[in-house]
Parts: sequence; structure tokens; C-alpha cells
Amino acid sequence: MRAGFIFSEVWIGLRRNATMTIALIVTVAIGMALLGIGMMINTQVSSAKNYWTDKVEISVFLCQKNSPFDNCKGKGGITQAQKAKLEQQIKAMTEVERVEFEDQAQAYENFKQQYANNSVLVAATRVEDMPESFRIKLKNPENYGNVIETLQKAEGVSQVVDQRKIVDNFFGFLGTLRSSALIVALIQVFAAILLIGNTVRLSAYNRRRETAIMRLVGASNLYIQAPFVLEGMVAGLIGGVISGFMLVAAKIVIFDGMQNYLVAAARMTWEDVAIVIAFTMAVGVLICVIASFVTLRRYLKV
Amino acid sequence: MIHFNNVTKTYPNQNRPALDRVSVDVDKGEFVFLVGPSGSGKSTFLRLILREEKPDSGTIHVAGKDLSRLSNFKVPHLRRRIGCVFQDFRLLPNKNVYENVAFALEVIGKPRRFIRKVVPEVVELVGLEGKAHRMPHELSGGEQQRVAMARAFVNRPMILLADEPTGNIDPATSIGIMKVLDRINRTGTTVVMATHDAAIVDSMRKRVVELEDGRIVRDQSRGVYGQAY
Ligand SMILES: Nc1ncnc2c1ncn2[C@@H]1O[C@H](COP(=O)(O)OP(=O)(O)OP(=O)(O)O)[C@@H](O)[C@H]1O
Ligand SMILES: [Mg+2]
Repeated sequence: MRAGFIFSEVWIGLRRNATMTIALIVTVAIGMALLGIGMMINTQVSSAKNYWTDKVEISVFLCQKNSPFDNCKGKGGITQAQKAKLEQQIKAMTEVERVEFEDQAQAYENFKQQYANNSVLVAATRVEDMPESFRIKLKNPENYGNVIETLQKAEGVSQVVDQRKIVDNFFGFLGTLRSSALIVALIQVFAAILLIGNTVRLSAYNRRRETAIMRLVGASNLYIQAPFVLEGMVAGLIGGVISGFMLVAAKIVIFDGMQNYLVAAARMTWEDVAIVIAFTMAVGVLICVIASFVTLRRYLKV
Repeated sequence: MIHFNNVTKTYPNQNRPALDRVSVDVDKGEFVFLVGPSGSGKSTFLRLILREEKPDSGTIHVAGKDLSRLSNFKVPHLRRRIGCVFQDFRLLPNKNVYENVAFALEVIGKPRRFIRKVVPEVVELVGLEGKAHRMPHELSGGEQQRVAMARAFVNRPMILLADEPTGNIDPATSIGIMKVLDRINRTGTTVVMATHDAAIVDSMRKRVVELEDGRIVRDQSRGVYGQAY
């Protein structure tokens, strides 16, 4: 095969349908970028989830002397007997893996750490303001419903907070974001396929004389089809490169920014990004090539 | 070289066959005129040889190959052994004479060195020396047909099919075209030419096969265009 000859045909073809080619490239670029972003969110979510499922606890806050919570009103603080009974009750639950008691001093330490950059708040808060709590780690973090319900009604409990709920809300948000990105990516892929169909049709029309003669003088099907498929491939490749740049930008702007919420353990590496880019590029090129090939059969009698 | 045995071809949605139980043999190196009124099946005959169409029944052998057993991906190889010219020349308007002829070799993957060597030879054979860099629109109809013949012949086919090659050309120029075809025939290439041109057929005195409504009504060596019994 004469590669130079085919490539000059491809170049002429792409230039002849410049508008179509540009539309195709842009569509592929956006589609693949969104697909990549969806994948990046996915890896973020799963690595962050792993991290968090290890950490999430149920916090059972206990009544203080002047607790404002409904459960405690008019009862004063929790008594030592109640505390011991509650601990027994928690330990007896089959769902519970272990339980720890966090006293006011420890709670204050944690509080100071969490709000280290808010000195006014830390200064205004005293150790006595901090609530005591039991920190429960469940065997299976999914089974929190029963535990929470039971403990909510226990004597001397002001409030039961499941961190999992908070984390779940955040993951829910990320999940929605991912689904949206993937849905739009899918629409873009669909649009790209239609555009390829159109490009191939135009190309086939523009090249109808050449292909008729090629058929007549006995050019192989591969040779006749190659310029069309290569046109799709080149467009897909250019779109893929553009989407690669968009993904690099997304990593810097979106994901590195999000890291503040997602703890360092789940940090996305450049290696992850490279894998995503390589994958989306391959998908983009593959879609273009397959779509060209399939539509080709409709417009090019071989 | 070309062997039709009881070949019938009906196009889809047509109630009358375009070719009806046609049997004919063309030997290597023969020159055959295919004559007959419009719609008698001449072009269909040529298209079957090229395997642009498949017969409904009967068998066709071309260059020793049974076309009904020829798989699709081998069709290009069949066509490389067959050259074709048409009434409407079918040149590429944005390529010059040399490039039009070279195109036929490029697309079957011939090396550039080979192309540079054989194209000028064929351009000379058809009588276009010195015009290799003209564009098709800078040529007369007769000259354009010569380019088409050069393209058809450049790969040294065993068979040359010509479908009314002089249909768009005045009688005087047609004689030149026929001389080229004759020259090609003398190299041992089998030539089958469909035509309406009585003067040409009568002057050449070659084998004449006459079709009417898809049937062979006459097959005469050294024949003339009209009835000559
Ligand atoms: N692609 C086609 N589809 C349907 N019918 C066709 C097709 N091509 C040819 N025919 C019909 O088949 C018959 C033979 O046509 P063909 O083209 O072989 O005739 P011809 O002898 O070459 O005529 P002409 O001298 O006008 O070129 C005609 O009746 C024609 O209408
Ligand atoms: Mg015809």
C-alpha cells in the first residue's frame, strides 16, 4: 500500500468538509472530556469511600446539665449509672464492632484541631461546653438504622449522629455529578456518531468519481475504504488530544480543589489522569473508526 | 477467455429479463462487437463480466474463473485483469492526463518507480505524447477517450471492455479511437465493444454478436452492423 497516497487523500477529504470535520472534532472532544471526568469522579468516589468506610462512626451524644436538646430537657445531665447501663446496652448489640467513650477533654482537643484556623470560635468555647459521647464503630457500616433507632430512645442520650449520613450525602452529590457527566457524554457520543455518518456521506459524495474508478480498476475494498475510515480516525484523534487537555485542566481546577473535602488519602495522581486520558482517547478513536466503517457500508457499494 | 453458458439476468422489479439464456464464447485475443438496439442488454452483458451484477441462472467464466464461485474479496483481482472504457470517459477532472492514468496503478498499490516507467509508455501508445500534463478540460472528447483507454490498458489487462466508446465522438475522431483499440487488441488483449456505430462495425470486419431483447439473434465472424444474410 502506498501510505503517502492514502494520507494525501485523507488530508484532502478532511479539508473539503472542513465545517463537518470541525463539528466532529469538537463533539468528540467534549464527549470524551465528559466521559473522562465521569471516570475521574468515579475513581475519586471509590478511593474516598474506601477511606471513609474505615472511619465512619456513629456518635451518641450524652445529655449535659443544660442541654438544649428535647431528649434531655428538665432531666439534668446523664448519671453515672445511666452511662454504664448505656455502655452495656451498646456493647450487647450484635451490629457493634467496638465502642469508645469520648470525654469532654478529648472532645475539646478534637474540636480545637478541627477549627484550628478559627481562633475566635476556639477561644469562645470551654471544655465544659463540649458534649460527652460514645463513638461506635459498626461491623458493617451499612447497618446503622436499627442501632440509631434504639439508641435515640435510650435514657440520657441527647442526639445520635451518623457520620455515614453526612458522607453519604456528599457521595450522593458526587454520584449525581458523575451520572450527569456520563449522560451528557453519551449524548455527545451519539451526536458524534450522527456527525460521522454525515461526514462519511459527504465524503462518499465528494469522492464518488474516485471510488467508482477505484472499483473499476480493481482497488481492494480496504484501499477504497481506508481514506474514509482514516478521516474518522484522524478527527477522533484530534478530538481526543483536545479532550486530553480539558482533562488536565479538570484535574487541576476541579479535582485538586475538591481535595480539601476529600482528604489527602484519596488524592488523584497524574498517573490516574494519564490512564483516563489514554482510555478516553482510545474510546474516541474507536467510536469514530467503527462509526465510519458502519456508515461506509451504506454509502459505498463495494 | 469469456464464457457465458445459458445466462439469464433479470433486474429487480423488472418483468422482462435484460439477458435471456445467453450462451457465448469469446477466445483469447478476439475482437468482438456487441450490437443491438437500445435496451437489448449490451451493457448488462459487460457488467456481468465485471461482476458488477450477478446472473440469476447460468454460469459465467472469465479468465478461467467461475464468477459464481468468486468470493467478494477476490472481485478486485478479477477487475485488475479487465480494463474498461465508457461513453462518458469517467476521468478525474482535477488530475492531469498522467495522474489520471497513474491513479489506476496507485490504487492497486503499484510502486512509484513502476508507475513512472509504464505510464508514459501507455500515454504514447494511445497517441497523447506531449499532452501528459494537460487537464481533462483542456482536451477534446477524442483525446479524453484516449486517456480513458490508456488508464484501462496501463495495467496490461487480459480483457478490455468498451461500452460505446465512440458514442460521444464524431466519426472522424472515432476512427482514431478504433485504431487505438485495434492496437491494444494486437498486443493479445481480448476486446469486447458494445456499439451503435454501424460505420465502425462495417469498416473493422470483426466478429459481431447481435442482441435483441436480451437474446442473441446473430453471431457472425467478420460481420457487419446490419443484417447481412
Ligand atoms: N440497474 C437497472 N435496474 C433495472 N433495470 C435495468 C438496469 N439496468 C438496465 N436495466 C434494464 O435492462 C435492460 C437492458 O439494459 P442495458 O443497459 O443492458 O441495455 P443496452 O443494450 O446497454 O442499451 P443502450 O444501448 O441504450 O445502452 C433494459 O430494459 C433496461 O431498462
Ligand atoms: Mg448500454
